[in-house]
Formats: sequence, C-alpha cells, structure tokens
Amino acid sequence: MTQAQLEALLDRLTGQLAGALRTEPFDLRAGHRVGAELVAAHIASAEGLGRTVEVIQLRLIRDLGLVAEDVEDRMARLLAAVATGYARALRDRTLDEQESIRRAAMRARTQAERALRASEARFRHQATHDPLTGLPNRTLFTERLTAALNEPGRGAQRVGVCFLDLDRFKVVNDTLGHQIGDLLLVTVAERLRKAMGAHLVARLGGDEFVILVECTGGTDAMVEVAETALAAVRTPALVDGHELQISASIGIVERQVAGANPTDLMRAADSTLHWAKSAGGARWALYDVERNQRELARYALSAAIPAALERGEFYLDYQPLTSLRDGSLVGVEALVRWRHPELGVLRPDSFIGLAEETGLIVQLGGWVLAEACREAEAWAAGSAAAPFVSVNLAVRQVHRPGLVQEVRALLRQTGLPPERLQLEITESTMMSTAKEPVRALRVLADLGVRIAIDDFGTGYSNLAYLRDLPVTELKVAGEFVAGLRSPSVGRTDERILASLVSLAHALDLTVTAEGVETAGQAERLRAIGCDAAQGWHFGRPAPADRILARIR
Amino acid sequence: MQRPDWAPETIDIERPSVARMYDYYLGGSHNFAADRAAAQAMVAAVPEAPLMAQANRAFLRRAVHHLAGAGIRQFLDIGSGIPTVGNVHEIAQRLDPRSRVVYVDVDPVAVAHSREILAGNEQATVVQEDLRRPEAILGHPEVRKLLDFSQPVAVMVVAVLHFVSDDDRPAQLLRTLRDALAPGSYLVLSQASDDGRSKDERAEAERVYQRTDNPLWIRGRAELTALFDGFELLDPGVVWVPEWRPETPESAEDAERAVFMGGVGRLGG
Repeated sequence: MTQAQLEALLDRLTGQLAGALRTEPFDLRAGHRVGAELVAAHIASAEGLGRTVEVIQLRLIRDLGLVAEDVEDRMARLLAAVATGYARALRDRTLDEQESIRRAAMRARTQAERALRASEARFRHQATHDPLTGLPNRTLFTERLTAALNEPGRGAQRVGVCFLDLDRFKVVNDTLGHQIGDLLLVTVAERLRKAMGAHLVARLGGDEFVILVECTGGTDAMVEVAETALAAVRTPALVDGHELQISASIGIVERQVAGANPTDLMRAADSTLHWAKSAGGARWALYDVERNQRELARYALSAAIPAALERGEFYLDYQPLTSLRDGSLVGVEALVRWRHPELGVLRPDSFIGLAEETGLIVQLGGWVLAEACREAEAWAAGSAAAPFVSVNLAVRQVHRPGLVQEVRALLRQTGLPPERLQLEITESTMMSTAKEPVRALRVLADLGVRIAIDDFGTGYSNLAYLRDLPVTELKVAGEFVAGLRSPSVGRTDERILASLVSLAHALDLTVTAEGVETAGQAERLRAIGCDAAQGWHFGRPAPADRILARIR
Repeated sequence: MQRPDWAPETIDIERPSVARMYDYYLGGSHNFAADRAAAQAMVAAVPEAPLMAQANRAFLRRAVHHLAGAGIRQFLDIGSGIPTVGNVHEIAQRLDPRSRVVYVDVDPVAVAHSREILAGNEQATVVQEDLRRPEAILGHPEVRKLLDFSQPVAVMVVAVLHFVSDDDRPAQLLRTLRDALAPGSYLVLSQASDDGRSKDERAEAERVYQRTDNPLWIRGRAELTALFDGFELLDPGVVWVPEWRPETPESAEDAERAVFMGGVGRLGG
C-alpha cells in the first residue's frame, strides 16, 4: 500500500468511528468492523493496536468536539469493540495463515516424496536395464532367476534358461563399425522381446542375451523356446542400409527348481553355449551332466600341466621310423607321456587337445622340443648314422615369434646337428595366410632342420604350400595305409598312395607312411616306393634306450 | 548443491526457513515454531530485523510500481519467498492485468504456498529453482512459457543475494541473467549491507548471522554498484532502500537502520 492509500484508508476508518460515536442507537458493530479492517490492511503488528487505541482515545473526542453526557462511556465501549474486532480478525487471519502454510508444507512434502519415488523408480530402472536396448540387464535377470529359484512352494517346478550369443558378431563390429553393431544389437533385442512374449529377455553384455523361462514343461519346451529365438535372429536384418544375415548359438539349461542355484545354472548355461559354438554355431545345445563332468576333468587336467612340468611328471617315448629299403632306423618320433600321480601314465590325446585350446601347449611343446633335442644328441655316440628325432609342433608354437631363436638356442646348447632334428607340422598350421611362420620355417630349413608335413592328405591338402615351404618329408596319414589291409578297398587307397609317393619324389621329398600294422601293408608300401614307415609293425612307442638297442 | 538429480530433498519444517522468517518479520503467520524461534533470536541480536524486512518490502513495491509505470509487463522475481500481501503480481496486475510474473524460489514450501496463491492466475506462476543456477531458471519450461525474452523483463533479485556466497560468484550469476535479457530490461537488486559501518560492526553482524542456517554475505555499496555491470543505474543509484525514491521525505529518515541497500538498473540499447 502506498502512503497515499494508507492515509485514505485511515481517514475512512476514522470517519466510521466518528459516525458511530454520534449515531443513535449506539452500535458497537462499527468498532468491530474498524478493528477487522485494520487487520485486513495488514496494520497488524502488535504496536498497531496500541497506537490505534492511543490515537482514538487522545484525539477523537477532542478533535470532534463531542460533549454528550455519555461520550466517555461510549468511547470506552467503542475502543473495546475496536480491540475485540481487531483481536478476532487477527486470530482468524493467524489461523488461516497457519493452515495455509501447513497445507503448503504438506503439499511440498508430498511432492518431494513423489519426486523421490519417481527418481528412485528411474534410478532403479537405470540400474536394472541396458541403456542400449532397453532390455533388463544382468542385475535384473539375476534377481528374477534368484527369485524363481527361491520362491517357496516352487521346489517341484522346473526352470530353464537359454543363453544366447550371436555368431561372429565381432566381424560386424570390425567391418561395419560399432555403430552398426549397436544397431544390430537393438534389432536383435527387439525381435527376441517380441518372439519371447512373457519370458524375460535380458542382455548380459556385448552380444550375449539370456531368456528366462519360469515353469518350463521340460526340455522339449525349452528346445522350442530356443528354436523360436534362433528363428527370430536368423531373419536377415536391414541395419542402416546393410542387409545383415546373422545367426546365434544357444546353450539350454533346464532343471528342477529344487536344489538349483543361480550361479551353477548360469555356469552350466555358459558351458553349454560353448558346446553350441564349438559345434559350428547357428544351433542350440542342451546341457549334459556327463559331458560337463568330462570337460571339467579335462579342464582340471590341463590346468595341472604347469605344475606337472615343474615336478617332472612328463617324459618322452619314441616310435621308430623305419626305412622300407633296408629296414634301418632312420628316425624316431618323440611322443610325450604324463606320469600322473593319481591317474597313472596318460597318453597325449587326453591332455594335448585342451592344452592347445588354453595355450599351455606352448610351454609343454617347448619342453618336449628341448627334451627331445637333449636326448637325441646322446644317441650319436659310436654310430655314424644316428636317427633323427621328429618333434610335433603345435600351431601356436609355429605362429609364435621367437621360434627360430628357440630352436637355434636348443641346437647350440645340446650340440644336436640340425639335420638330426625334424619338426612335424600339420597342414592346418599352414592354412593361415600369415607370412611370418613360413619365413621362420624357411630359416630353420636353411639351418638344415628337416620339416615334415604330418597327417598329409587328411586336411587341407593344398599343394600350393609345398611350392612355398621348405618341406623335406610328407607323413601320409594312417587311414590311407589302413586301406591296404583289405585288397578290395585297398585298390583306391593304394592308387592314392602311389600318386602321393610319385608326387613327393617328383618334388624331391621323402614319404613316410604312418599307422603300418602288418607285414602285408609294409610290403605293399615298399612296392609303391614309399621311403619309410611307422607303426606297430615296426615298433611301438618306447623309451629311447629300448629303441636304440635295436641299432647297436 | 551436490545432491544428485535423482534424490530430491525432503521437507523438514523443524529447520528454520529464511523465507518463513522473513514472513514473520513482516507480521505474517506463515511460519512454524522453528522459524519463529530463529527469527526471534535474530531480532534479539539485530533489533532492526523487522524494520529491515518492511523497508525492503516497501522498496520492492516502489520499484515494481515504477517499472510498471515505465511500461514493463514481465517480471521474473528470483528468491520470492512466501508471497504475502503486496507481492509483485498484485502490484503489477493492478496496473495492467496482462502483466506476467514468474516467481522463483528454492524453498519447496514457499513454492507450494505460492502455487496455491497463484491458482487460477494464468498470468503468474512459480518455479522451484536456485538463483545459483541461472541457466536452469532461464531454460525452465514454465519460465519460457510465460516470459518472452525478446521483450523487456524486470529481473528482481531482492533480499536474496546475501545468501549467495562469493564462491558462487554472484557477478557471474547476474551476468548470465543479463545476457538473456532484451534491451530495455531492468534489474532490481537489494541485499543486506554494512556500508559506512566500522570493521568491528561488520564483524559483529557477521558473527550473529553465522549462527543462523543461512549465513549472510554482507556487501558494501561499491560491491553492489559493481553488480549492476552492464545496466544503467536509475537515480539515486545504490542507496539504503528507504532512500530509493521515497514517497515522503520522512520515510527516508534513519535510512541506514534498514540495513538493506538496493537499486534499479536499466539495460541500455
């Protein structure tokens, strides 16, 4: 209120009071009204009332010049009415304001709580969903799986998961970029969500998805779910102008709720997914307890290799490579054995495969190479024509930088002449287009080391590498030789062998036949012109002393 | 200020609110026991407190009157508190019902109360924001809806800047607001000041204020004048608020007892 407005108001109220003093009959309500109006105009401080009473009492009668008989009585009653009206109005206003501020506080609190709930819900959603695809994430999936397994009264029921992973998704990322890769993931997520209906579909990360089926009707029902998911992924996807044909692999685990726990179940699903992957992908695999146990055992065995190497549990046997011309011992193939403290002597097929997968083959193969060189050096004593030692090299060993230095150092340390070392590599080793392994083998060949192709004829059989590689010898796979045992089937194998031998000889290579078990086979191989043979007919793998005893 | 976006504050009426304390100084009852206790403690230490609030309120009224008279129809009142009698929209809309007013306060109870008072008023609204986040105020959808920043706006920063520490860089905050304004816009600013008082007095005053929840950042005339950077100060410049265009000569007597200094600046161009 401006000063002028205030003065006008007070002037008006004074007029009302003066009127009340003069009017007959005397009406106290005018006093009440003036008191209330003062409060309404926010002249409501404690001092406001006191000052009002003071001014009215001191000035009003005098200024108006009133001389009525009862004027003092009227004045007192009027002031009382003003004070009453003022107090009433102030009390009402105070109560109203208190009520309104309380209401405001309550509303603010409600809003804050609602905002808190909304933000908690938002936070919870963020914490439990994958931002890229909007699917539930690992956290929510684990919660739901745990709940499904722990819900009381569900012990008799069954639960299943499909662990899905896109095949060769990395290729999409690497060739088309992560943006396209992400869009593809969004597409796949959307399709899975649609195809799976009520089943929870979650993205665990990368290109891994998982489908939770609560209350399954058994493995058949789960297989059906997996087939549906595979079909949903298989349809070509148009992503940013690229038509992408993608497939997926699925590991299925289905089991009774009773006794199951989320960690084991997901571990089982993970292994099962790997089975589907290693079987070539674009398929589902069903969890198999026995297979899993076998793999666990195999894994445990492979994990024990480094310690076994330190404890000296490995040793070498040698199998003779015999000349078919004169029956002399031309070489021996080193074969690793594991004297396992609990499982007894283990043959390589029970541990080499996994050692190759895990990379431990490099360590183990290195030991075999060094041990073979060390032992073979000693055989030369007193013999002009000591046999060479043939050692298998795994793909990883061949592709590893430093192979040349390793072999060179071994030859220097042991004193084994290079021409008495033969390295056996498989055809598949050379399938890679990498130049470095070829260069390394050529350096080794230049040193005089013999290079043999193992299992020739069973794999890649690309003859082109024979042109590029410094190969000394072909070792023909035992399955061709096996055919020689029955004359009727053997005709084809014999022709193949004969052609291989003449091809090898034309390229200045020698040929060793593997898996020769009978004298008949040996005779026919000699007739073909095969240079050497290996197999039970000529001697089983045995410690070096026993083999060497034959030539002494 | 470090509270993450997803965790809103809770409402605790056991803690005094400066908005409700101010209401108490003005004789209002929009306050709780905790507010009254804090306000009474303040009055005990600084007997001028109620006078300060009333003088500041009167300054706000005269400034809005003046700006409305100068043709301003848009008001952005930051730190509006509990809107009791004589608030900006009442004054501005009495002169022109088309005047648009946006209140801004950081106190959720003050905002809820304002919302109730403004219910049904299409030309006025309130948003909960902080003077220390001018970008958030300027970008707020409610602000954008009601105010047209291509036209002059009066920004009111009245009796609030003394709650903003120097670390929060008040000059920078005001510059951000200024940069959003069209030529012909105004800044109305007032805050607690100790201009002309001795160092001892300032120290004592600050010690008193440090005891409250919101310590005050007292600033002198020169500091306040500098905050009008970019604006042309209207006469009489930055003064004790009762001295700013008083209605009667008497009302400007003992002006420094009002503790608040203020001024009005116009954005040229």
